[in-house]
Amino acid sequence: MIEVDEKKMPWSKNLTMASLLATLENVEFCSVVRLNGRLVSSPKFAETIIPDNSKIQLLPLVAGG
Amino acid sequence: MDKINLKEIKCISYERAEIKKGYTDKSLRVNLDANKITISPIEERIKNKFIGGKGYDLWLMWNAVKASTKWNDPENTICISSGPLGGTPGYPGGGKSIVTSISPLTGAPIDSNVGGYFGPYKKFSGFDVIQVDGKAKKDTIIFIDGIENKIKILEANNLPTDSYELSDVLTRHFDVDKPVNVSVVTAGPGAEHTNFGCLNFSWWDAGRKRVRYKQAGRGGIGTVFADKKVKAIVARFGAISMKSNNPADLDALKLVTKSHSKEIRELDPKQNRMSLVGTTHLVPIMNDHDCLPVHNFKFGSHPESRVIGEEVYEHIFDKGFDGCWKGCTVACSHGVKDFSPFTGPYSGKKVFVDGPEYETVAGCGSSLGIFDAHTIIEINFYCDAYGMDTISVGTSLAFVMECFENKLITLDHTGGMDLSFGNRFNALEIIHQMARGEGFGAIVGKGIRQMKQIFAKDFGADMAFMQDIGMESKGLEFSEYMTKESLAQQGGYGLALKGPQHDEAWLIFLDMVHNFMPTFEDKAEALHWFPMFRTWFGLCGLCKLPWNDIIPEDNKNTSEPAKVAKHLGWYADFFSAVTGRKSSPEDLISMSEAVYNFQRIFNLKMGFGTREHDTLPYRAVGPVTVEEYESRQERYDEQLKEKYELDISNMDSKEKVAVLRQKREEQYELLKNAVYKRRGWNNNGIPTVETVNRLGIDFPEVLEVLKKNGVE
Repeated sequence: MIEVDEKKMPWSKNLTMASLLATLENVEFCSVVRLNGRLVSSPKFAETIIPDNSKIQLLPLVAGG
Repeated sequence: MDKINLKEIKCISYERAEIKKGYTDKSLRVNLDANKITISPIEERIKNKFIGGKGYDLWLMWNAVKASTKWNDPENTICISSGPLGGTPGYPGGGKSIVTSISPLTGAPIDSNVGGYFGPYKKFSGFDVIQVDGKAKKDTIIFIDGIENKIKILEANNLPTDSYELSDVLTRHFDVDKPVNVSVVTAGPGAEHTNFGCLNFSWWDAGRKRVRYKQAGRGGIGTVFADKKVKAIVARFGAISMKSNNPADLDALKLVTKSHSKEIRELDPKQNRMSLVGTTHLVPIMNDHDCLPVHNFKFGSHPESRVIGEEVYEHIFDKGFDGCWKGCTVACSHGVKDFSPFTGPYSGKKVFVDGPEYETVAGCGSSLGIFDAHTIIEINFYCDAYGMDTISVGTSLAFVMECFENKLITLDHTGGMDLSFGNRFNALEIIHQMARGEGFGAIVGKGIRQMKQIFAKDFGADMAFMQDIGMESKGLEFSEYMTKESLAQQGGYGLALKGPQHDEAWLIFLDMVHNFMPTFEDKAEALHWFPMFRTWFGLCGLCKLPWNDIIPEDNKNTSEPAKVAKHLGWYADFFSAVTGRKSSPEDLISMSEAVYNFQRIFNLKMGFGTREHDTLPYRAVGPVTVEEYESRQERYDEQLKEKYELDISNMDSKEKVAVLRQKREEQYELLKNAVYKRRGWNNNGIPTVETVNRLGIDFPEVLEVLKKNGVE
């Protein structure tokens, strides 16, 4: 199992961040996530493998600086 | 050191104006030529039109300066204002000051939004805005004492020269028992000797029992301050509460303050963690999106960037409350305790460093090829202590380093210093030279626009290449975001009134990442509403971060997530509660639009503010060199083939650079057309008479400026 924004979700082997987000709704503003506390940005979603028991937070980055 | 010596030149007692619904309705003018102190009422029509903050500053400046006024003329004016909502304890970002002057870098009005307690203390002492003009003959301190109800002009001797020590000494001097009652504005030796001097605005950190400061960094207002021989402006005031602004509806104010504050306290730890890492979370994010300036904005990422981002600074920052305003839950003003510089006058001593923020890390780190957290902290410390803007320092040095690597300047020009990218020791030495006004540093301290002229005229450097790589527009150095792949952000920088600073419009993610605005009209629309909301924070005395850097969890389900409607509703409620003027989010835009257009016409008055001044160095638009092109060849080749439908099979990289440049520059000009149209400006970028009529800024002197520029 993994936690996405504090909600339990099933985990599967070789689950990537991109494939996880593809299953979620209303994530068009999610270009950055925290995966177990570490920032991962959208250019790296496809190559980022999610380990089992991970905690993920979706960051709705709109502005900055 | 010996005791400081302050001699009273002028002192007046005054009756402190009662605050009504966020306003004192009084302005304070200090003229240093005649040592004259004047308190004047602010007219109702001015209040209704200019709101406060930057609006008040600009109105006073407009009436103080002539079209021919230069930054170092006595009539140039420094204005510092809070705003009707400024000074609300507990409201996130609710204590800002907005500073304006005619900039040494741009020759036009510059504005800077800064934390610290000065703005609220000044307002609660009885003045919505302070205006300082003229020039003192000797070092001077202006003291606004809202406890004793006195204004003093003091001649100062034997003061510390740098801001770090001066802020501390003056805070303790003006209220030895309660230093929390004091906020000081200071510059430093770097402000005297460069064109990008900043101002440090202090507050007393009760937890650490020390003075902290934030910077009004952009555009060289510190340089104007030093030129007027002002060593400090000090405000003293006592306890502040929610009632201090005498709001129209105290219960409504408490409710909206609690709501916004609570949300940030709950969501910031789940989102950007600014209360823990400040804005350093942006370093890895910008790097991964190829938007972190590396080697003078040549590239947007670097494998070593992780060592200068949040993962490192989280462990370096001193733990404790770091709000630059009372009770702010964003609390992003972090610092480094017991830092020991390895160069300069504080070498080997232990100091507290306020910062670094993202802009300093990127400008004085990655853009210089310096991937060392401690060197960045040391640069941050000295820039603040000397009173120099870290953004202009970093961007100017990056330009110098690229010129050096391209042999446009040599060891003969730099005093024998190797200024290749990554040379952290010589970067620091240049900063010390800037502050002393000596050596090659004295040239760097003039800023990129003047350096280009000097390098071309005196050193024979290639002006066309320097125009392409010198990251300045309107004379102001760029802040620290790569814009090559975001046309909207190119507009955000190039069309910003004061020059390329991201506080007006930051659209990189909405444009480049989210593809929220695919057409020119979409981008123009965003370049309308985004700057208007950002302008509004400067009118009211607020910080921009709580609007859209921490996002409600249900924001994604709203009809316009980009605008973060829930927060705009809270801001409208906040304004209504304090001022009694019932307002909606749409009203925030109309308040800003009047001031925004007025500032554009102010630029016009000063000889700028037309299409030709909204230009960008090509480095901000696309790859200048073959090296840059080939570093992202797949991306650029695809654009030429897919977007522009060109056959590039027989083109070499140099030809591709040229054709891509032609296409991208065309796009930027088309964007200008769309933005001007959306803003109600003519094709030369000047507001039309219809627009100024609609906004109610059709004052005779405004219409006269338009007429002089062929608009009637």
